[in-house]
Amino acid sequence: MKLRLIVGGAEEELELLSQPPVCRFRWQGTEHEANVEMPEPGVYSVLIDGRSYDAAVEHRPDVTVVVIDGHRFEIQVRDPRRWSRQSGSRGAGAVETLSAPMPGKVVRVLVSPGDAVEAGQGLLVVEAMKMQNELKASRAGRVSVIHAREGATVAAGEPLATIE
Amino acid sequence: MFRKILIANRGEIAVRVIRTLREMGIGSVAVYSDADRTSLHVRMADEAEHVGPSASSESYLWIDKILDAAKKHGAEAIHPGYGFLSENAEFAAACEDAGVVFIGPSAASIRAMGSKTDARRNAIAAGTPVVPGTDHAISLAEAVEFGREHGYPLLLKAVAGGGGKGMRSVYRAAELESAYRNAASEAERAFRNSEIYVEKLIERPRHIEIQLIGDRHGNMVHLGERECSIQRRHQKVVEESPSPLVALHPEMRSAMGEAAVRAARAVDYYNAGTIEFLVDPDRRFYFLEMNTRLQVEHPVTELVTGLDLVRLQVEVAAGGRLPFTQDHVRWSGSAIECRIYAEDPYNNFLPYPGTLTRLDRPMGPGVRLDGCVYTGWTVPLEYDPLLAKLAVWAGTREETIARMIRALREYDVGGIRTNIGFFRQILEDEEFRAGHLHTGFIEEFFARNRPPNAPPDFAAIAALAAALDHVRRESSQAPAAGNGASPWLTAGRAELLR
Repeated sequence: MKLRLIVGGAEEELELLSQPPVCRFRWQGTEHEANVEMPEPGVYSVLIDGRSYDAAVEHRPDVTVVVIDGHRFEIQVRDPRRWSRQSGSRGAGAVETLSAPMPGKVVRVLVSPGDAVEAGQGLLVVEAMKMQNELKASRAGRVSVIHAREGATVAAGEPLATIE
Repeated sequence: MFRKILIANRGEIAVRVIRTLREMGIGSVAVYSDADRTSLHVRMADEAEHVGPSASSESYLWIDKILDAAKKHGAEAIHPGYGFLSENAEFAAACEDAGVVFIGPSAASIRAMGSKTDARRNAIAAGTPVVPGTDHAISLAEAVEFGREHGYPLLLKAVAGGGGKGMRSVYRAAELESAYRNAASEAERAFRNSEIYVEKLIERPRHIEIQLIGDRHGNMVHLGERECSIQRRHQKVVEESPSPLVALHPEMRSAMGEAAVRAARAVDYYNAGTIEFLVDPDRRFYFLEMNTRLQVEHPVTELVTGLDLVRLQVEVAAGGRLPFTQDHVRWSGSAIECRIYAEDPYNNFLPYPGTLTRLDRPMGPGVRLDGCVYTGWTVPLEYDPLLAKLAVWAGTREETIARMIRALREYDVGGIRTNIGFFRQILEDEEFRAGHLHTGFIEEFFARNRPPNAPPDFAAIAALAAALDHVRRESSQAPAAGNGASPWLTAGRAELLR
């Protein structure tokens, strides 16, 4: 079985040649043999070339997070068997929407629609867990929409401001 | 001795207090807000009482509700923990009026040390050195005048402040006005008091504090220092004892210890308290403030002295005498604590609330974990995102650092982001290991370090785990997957049938 994985922005192929517990796979042109068990839900114990690794796997809506010895990998798995909506790159330099990185309360809006902003300029201040966090523009442009009002409670991922 | 004590707090400190009460054979009463019904302190306590909605102003900060809960459950004393009502003189006085013992100093001592400006005046009167600054709340115009007279940089602070809230460093006159307004609005929000004062900013200072414990019979001892220079957003995140600086200059411990005892005696202090000092590069120390309560980082002192500070607090609150004098205090080995937060250190320490899907706790020799989390628990949005304090002890600082790194490697929290990996990087840092600490350490650390790179062999393992998990999930979602067949086999067969 061949799967396409996107790791750190690069797309790679992983071919599973046999199933666990003795799992052969091809990755980046090299074939490996691993002994794999799942001793706890979501945790894979992998023995490979005499070395031992514990890999904990978590699912997010759009990404699989794998943690090995504190190192975190965000991986998108694309299964060629169910090739569907999984494309879609945005047009370069068009529109960028700043969304809330965590749930919180908008305490200040620092810009207005139509304002020109620099990269790194503060757009809004969101308070979460008693901390005020200034959220900054990731690039220069013009503010087209402010989605949130001062005093509003916002959920993680909710759009706050759009820059064109 | 008391038979039952109410803990007017939540989170890890409530859990920590309950543990000592249980060892002392004293019953515990937890209080909780709507957000904390299933929090660990409620589950661990012998009794529990609901005190209101999630907003702390309507629950943990509401004096009458806390006292009603104490009355209803027959608690004879209240342990306030840290934060919330712990440094509220009105609360200490209300406890006294209600015939419940407040486990802490008198309301008068809290008043004398609670406001930073009063505390400065008292410290000066006791002959303790202080940083140049105003002794009172100031207007923006007065701040401008102070800057003109003493020069920059300077530091704006909330009169009622703590935890870095309402605090701003100002490096140029042009930044003063907006910094003043931001500090005042943050102070208003955090403390319902927007008053600001100003002092000269000491560059590259160390934060070293002295733990005190005293009884109501006039006995007061210091338990040595903790160095808490590693801070983010003006909040301590790594604390240790002994301070690597004091370890090189042992006379500093008695000099600071005696200055701290003097300042506390000047306000007739009893119970546990901490005097915080800034130490400049020439090893001069300046009184910063007094915390009239148990500190978050008290475990490092407990580890090097072998004492239980909560037990001592309860004993002296019950009228007991300190069971030792200054000459009996002995320090042994080295202890470090890391504060584990739900936050993303590589994204400006943004808080990261969420549900814990997995929890591996560090164990083994010399490891102490004071936490309030369990798998399936959701970190509430309403409170400080402190998950746990990991403290380790070993014979030397070098061994303690190695032990802490080992313990951090065993520690894994799934479902949210934490600063665990960040601490590993800090403890491996050469400057940290050399003991070259100051309160701007983390900013400089980020300037010379990138987020850690995984060893090259990890990528293949991560890819394999992600792929296998994908296959397992696909096959378990597939209809008619067979009766109890291994998901691996099912997936394998499905593959063969393609």
